[in-house]
Amino acid sequence: MISYHPDSRYLTDFASANLSLAEAVCVSAHLEFCGKCRGHVQQLKDVGAHLLIQLEPEELEADSFTRLMSKIGSADAAASSPRTPAEPALSLNECEQDEAARSKELPRSLVDVFLPRSVRSLSRGGLQNLSWAQLGKALRVAPLPIFGESRETAIYDIKAGGRMPEHEHRGEEITVLLKGSFSDADGSYSRGDFVVRNAGEAHQPTATQDTDCICLVCLERPVRPRGLFYRLLEPFVQYRLNKLNRGPAF
Amino acid sequence: MGSSDETNGKKPAQSWAAQLGNDPWESELRKVAQSADRLAFKKLFEHFAPQIKAFLMKGIGSYGDRSQAEEMTQEVMIKVWNKAASFNSSKASLNTWIFTIARNTRIDFIRRNSRAERKIDIEDIWHEADSPEPIVDLQQRRVETQVRNALSTLPDEQALVLEKAFMESKSHNEIAQELGLPLGTVKSRIRLALSKLQILIDR
Ligand SMILES: [Zn+2]
Repeated sequence: MISYHPDSRYLTDFASANLSLAEAVCVSAHLEFCGKCRGHVQQLKDVGAHLLIQLEPEELEADSFTRLMSKIGSADAAASSPRTPAEPALSLNECEQDEAARSKELPRSLVDVFLPRSVRSLSRGGLQNLSWAQLGKALRVAPLPIFGESRETAIYDIKAGGRMPEHEHRGEEITVLLKGSFSDADGSYSRGDFVVRNAGEAHQPTATQDTDCICLVCLERPVRPRGLFYRLLEPFVQYRLNKLNRGPAF
Repeated sequence: MGSSDETNGKKPAQSWAAQLGNDPWESELRKVAQSADRLAFKKLFEHFAPQIKAFLMKGIGSYGDRSQAEEMTQEVMIKVWNKAASFNSSKASLNTWIFTIARNTRIDFIRRNSRAERKIDIEDIWHEADSPEPIVDLQQRRVETQVRNALSTLPDEQALVLEKAFMESKSHNEIAQELGLPLGTVKSRIRLALSKLQILIDR
């Protein structure tokens, strides 16, 4: 049962495609779990469609349709002639081998989790393809490759019963639960939930005892300028520092 | 339901018949899907392309100019031609389907022309999720008539924020910056506008 949904700002900015890619990945993931929000996005797109249809039409170039049809004509001709084989099919093979090699070292838990399409695409097919970093006994983190963003996006894998070090955000943090459940002082969250924590809010999530918890996390980078060294470590540096300061939290 | 069909927009009622299920344009699209009917496609082109171009010109802002909007309009219409068979009127109205294609073409264009991530397929993010979780029917049809009737009665300040979000491609934050308003004000204006359209989020 999903109890935490993106608010009207996220859904509107998603429907109008004005979210940053990192945030859109999170909303898109939630939508695959939540029919209610998908219904809202549909309604919001209806608003967009109504507004579009009411726009003052812009004149097209005189030969617009003719040019269009010649593009379509040549594409159709190319499609009906025998296709040139092998778009880079080779890279697929490489991926598969890669995958096989890596999944040996990894627990089943990563392989059989349901992945929303956005995450599947970003992880090239499965979480086992990502580069994982072990942070303490209970937490592993794998960054998702989204470049040119002011947010850091990653998959967190928290062992059953594991506790994250208490941390405070210097930017907004979005968490979408892909598997398992966790709780913090404000409530407990299960699969599909879309949880937002604002800058300055501190919390210490704990995974439920019986299963591992896998989350998609998108963290806004701090606005304050920092040295390159720290920027390279973001967002993990917070956890490490917290751990050092507070002693063994795991 | 919806027997009296008063018109209160600039557009003739005919395009709104669309929303109630007997859209003449849908049958033109079906002809394109079934028999690659070029005449039907031309009609669709003449009806939709000028407004698609208007939408793109508003939305690409500093990323492109008039001639790029023209090229992108062609890109959108090529997708309409290629995807005609995948149109499903039980999922979305034709207007909404076309809006979605135009919107995705626009973000793809902006992405190609900025320093943003390029390796990800836009359709993997801004897609029509076909997950096993069924879409909740929020009385779609009723909402569509509601949207049509209520859009023209919105106070200017609410109409403006919707226009900026959906046509000018601006996020809540960008609208707040542009209008010099706190983010919370923009958010509540949009929420008020949406609730007048019977789109009730956050409850
Ligand atoms: Zn939801």
